[in-house]
Amino acid sequence: MSILRRAAAGLRSLFRTERSAMELEEELNGFLEMAAAEKMKAGLSHQEALRAVRIECGNPEVTKDLVRSATWESGVETCWRDLWFGLRTLRKSPGFTAVAILTLGLGIGANTAIFSAVYAVLLKPIPFKNAERLVFIEKRNPPRGWNRNPISPAEIIAWRNESEAFDDIAAYTERSCVLTGVGEPEEEPCEVITSNLFPLLGVAPIRGRTFSTDEDKPGGSRVVLLSYRLWQRRFGGREKVIGTALDIGGDSYTVVGVMPANNSHLYASPYGTPPDLWLSGIALSPTEVSNEYFGIGRLKPGVSLQQAEARMDAISIRIEPMNSDLRGWRAQLMTFRTNTSGDTRPALLVLMGAVIFVLLIACANVANLLLARGTRRANEFAVRSALGASRGRVVRQLLTESLVISIAGGACGILLASFGRKGLAALAPEYLLQAAPDLAHAAPDLRILAFALLVAIGTTLLFGLVPALRCARPYVTDALKETGRSSLQSPRSRSLHSALIVSEIALAMVLLIGAGLMIRTLAQLGRVNFGFNQTNVLTLRVPLAGERYREFQAQAQFWERVVSAVESLPSVESASVSRGLPISGWSGQFFATSEEPNPPAGQVPVANYVVIGPNYFRTMQIPIRAGRTFNDHDNNGGERVVIINEELARLYWAGREAVGKRLQIGGKGPWLSVVGVAGDVLSQGPDAGFHSEMYVPYQQFPWLMDGPKNLVVRTSGGVKPESVVGEVIQEIHRIDKDQPVVEIATMEQIALEPVAQQHMVMALLVSFAGLALILSALGTYSVLSYSVAQRTREIGLRMALGAQRKNVLRLVVVGGVRLAFLGIGVGLTAALALTRLMKVLLFGVRPTDPLTFGAVIGVLAVTSILACYIPARRATRVDPIVAIRYE
Amino acid sequence: MLLLVTRRIEDFMPEKASDLIQGTLDMLILKTLALEPMHGYGISVRIEQVSKSVFRLNAGSLFLAIQRLERDGLIQSEWKPTENNRRAKYHALTRKGRTRLNSETREWERQTTAIARILEAT
Repeated sequence: MSILRRAAAGLRSLFRTERSAMELEEELNGFLEMAAAEKMKAGLSHQEALRAVRIECGNPEVTKDLVRSATWESGVETCWRDLWFGLRTLRKSPGFTAVAILTLGLGIGANTAIFSAVYAVLLKPIPFKNAERLVFIEKRNPPRGWNRNPISPAEIIAWRNESEAFDDIAAYTERSCVLTGVGEPEEEPCEVITSNLFPLLGVAPIRGRTFSTDEDKPGGSRVVLLSYRLWQRRFGGREKVIGTALDIGGDSYTVVGVMPANNSHLYASPYGTPPDLWLSGIALSPTEVSNEYFGIGRLKPGVSLQQAEARMDAISIRIEPMNSDLRGWRAQLMTFRTNTSGDTRPALLVLMGAVIFVLLIACANVANLLLARGTRRANEFAVRSALGASRGRVVRQLLTESLVISIAGGACGILLASFGRKGLAALAPEYLLQAAPDLAHAAPDLRILAFALLVAIGTTLLFGLVPALRCARPYVTDALKETGRSSLQSPRSRSLHSALIVSEIALAMVLLIGAGLMIRTLAQLGRVNFGFNQTNVLTLRVPLAGERYREFQAQAQFWERVVSAVESLPSVESASVSRGLPISGWSGQFFATSEEPNPPAGQVPVANYVVIGPNYFRTMQIPIRAGRTFNDHDNNGGERVVIINEELARLYWAGREAVGKRLQIGGKGPWLSVVGVAGDVLSQGPDAGFHSEMYVPYQQFPWLMDGPKNLVVRTSGGVKPESVVGEVIQEIHRIDKDQPVVEIATMEQIALEPVAQQHMVMALLVSFAGLALILSALGTYSVLSYSVAQRTREIGLRMALGAQRKNVLRLVVVGGVRLAFLGIGVGLTAALALTRLMKVLLFGVRPTDPLTFGAVIGVLAVTSILACYIPARRATRVDPIVAIRYE
Repeated sequence: MLLLVTRRIEDFMPEKASDLIQGTLDMLILKTLALEPMHGYGISVRIEQVSKSVFRLNAGSLFLAIQRLERDGLIQSEWKPTENNRRAKYHALTRKGRTRLNSETREWERQTTAIARILEAT
């Protein structure tokens, strides 16, 4: 109450400053007059009486000031006045102001842009109920070194019912859904989920309902949920959609609900496409051991991730004897945050560190400018303090000026950051954008703006405080005596300049080394041999679906016709079809060799299983090392055949002829003869190495497949693969116009995907390091120029006394270069300690790569010598006579 | 050039005559105003007279205290002509001011009695 009243009174007088000042004046005058009147009774004249009262009561101006300054609004007024005064002084030196604002703007902008990514991926609350207790459940197999595997129904049920670690566990699996019947046939990203998934996440549908437990059963009614996106895009947001039937992959599903747009897909791994359809019908059976599902569980309150894992492992050990497929598997839990942020965490942290360095350099630069400016204004401060301004008062004024600069810099930074975010979104790998959909949107949210403001205010203290404290030092008489004459720099202020230069160069050094290491990493990645020729290859996927393609025969005929039609295009050299592509994935199948037909449980060999058409090896240009490739005789009537890769041959038939040996895939089915050995192909990206692979021809209708779907097309030399997309789709639609064509990409694009993150980090680090280099060179240059200007008289004297130009040149250059090398030394030490943190991002280079370190030292040394040389040249042009007379 | 001079408030506290115990000035002003509304000079004269010149207020601390009391809603002020046909700002106790004066007086008495007891006990 009293605070409110005080605030109200303050506001009143704030807006009626003059009136309240007048009232106070009148009241005070009245007081004095009355006191004087009292004195006059004792016989004094009016004038004498007034004088006596004045002596007794002190200066009325001081009294007024005292009374006024006791109120809070007078503090506001002072700030306001400081602010206006600051603005006026800054307007008088537009050059300084512009440079300072731009420098800070770059620093704050870079920080804001990167922070918006860090916030979106690592800090933003996950939009689910009790998200901190939600875990992503997978499994690992320590004896075989496998990680992050999907889990089986047997495990889900045992863990849910017996571990007592979870409130509940839900499961889901991805599948391909081709939607027909409403408009064009389209493949939608799709998941089959258990009915408890959305209740567990605490996400309610915006229309209709989610699934009931009855609908989990395979015999239950087939129902489907739509994403908000699909509802809008395909059904125009119509309310009537609930209850309608959709044809999905040839089956009829009833729409029961629409899910909200609020990132309700964020439970899933960020590497997949967010689903637009959710289907019912997962019946978990305690005897089913196929690894098809991902689990999501909510831990009971107070149960930690480790405790839950330990309890689940105990259950895994107990159910192991039930089925040999369960052998060796243990639970692998992950928090939602870890799961959705994926591998981007270290990259983002490295980038955040980098932009903080850039900001520090910017601050050091502005501090240098302020120090120099402070020396020029020494006179002004001396006059003020001679007139009674306390040191605190001057510091406050200077800090207000700095605040004006940094707020303007912050505004400039927010502007730059919005461009930066667009650039970031363009560079960011797909999965980063999926984990953080806000990143691509242009408008930064309030928290990001608050961050920018906070950084701006923080930087004020960082760059403004030390110069302000130094400028406001109360050496009034010294400064006044030096009126009109530029003083020699004091040793202390020179050492402050030096410290700032050394730290700028050291910071720039660390950034340059980080950028250099990333450049080297990408160069190494570019040198990796993929095992196939990724240039000139187009791939696309046709998810064959519908009644017509139930029969495998029909699929085979479709592909035969597509391949021969595409191959007859003039710009196409060869074409083939496969299930599975290099780089983009690995689908493991167990197998047994004729030498060891019954491998012990838990040690069954496994290899990537690729179903291919004829000409696949020719189209991808994968070399055949031994034996032959598939031919037209490898059809349903011929001998069952398989081609293996070198890695598999090395592992199981080392030193022996692999061609002619036999193997069996999946533990049942026919035995296949090895007819050829193909070269190794990177199946999971350039840094994952080679793994066993086996290729089978699709014409032999392998029982273990749902048919080929990836078309691969090699264009003739000189024809860009992108340019034939239209023709190829036309050919496919000429054969069946109802088939959607998706995932159109060149193999070169696919090969770049796994290193997209390194590309992003490299591009950003290089630009930050470039910025740091420019800023620190500018810093060195401006400090030296300033010091040369300050020492004009000294240099003139030296020259008058016989110093040669080269002596003067050396005097200036050596001083600057000594600082630069000190900075390089400090930076080197810091870099050696810090680059270890980015080890996970590197490939083929050590964090202490001598080449990078050497190159960076060279670049920095040359830049700083240049930055010293230009002001030094200017020093040699000093005319001794002018310099001594000067001032 | 813009100049602002601030001095520490302590410099203007009552000098020469006995220093007032922190916070008692407010109570004395309230007590003075409890009799009738008064202007600033009247308050200072009255306090000086009643205290037999032990407490002498200077204008600075008086006006500071008045401003404070007014903002806290303990007194309210209005411009009125004085007996000498001069315009002066008269300050009057509000109901809240009266309550505050009572409670502060009680507290003051409690404390002085206690202090006296301690000083007398030997």
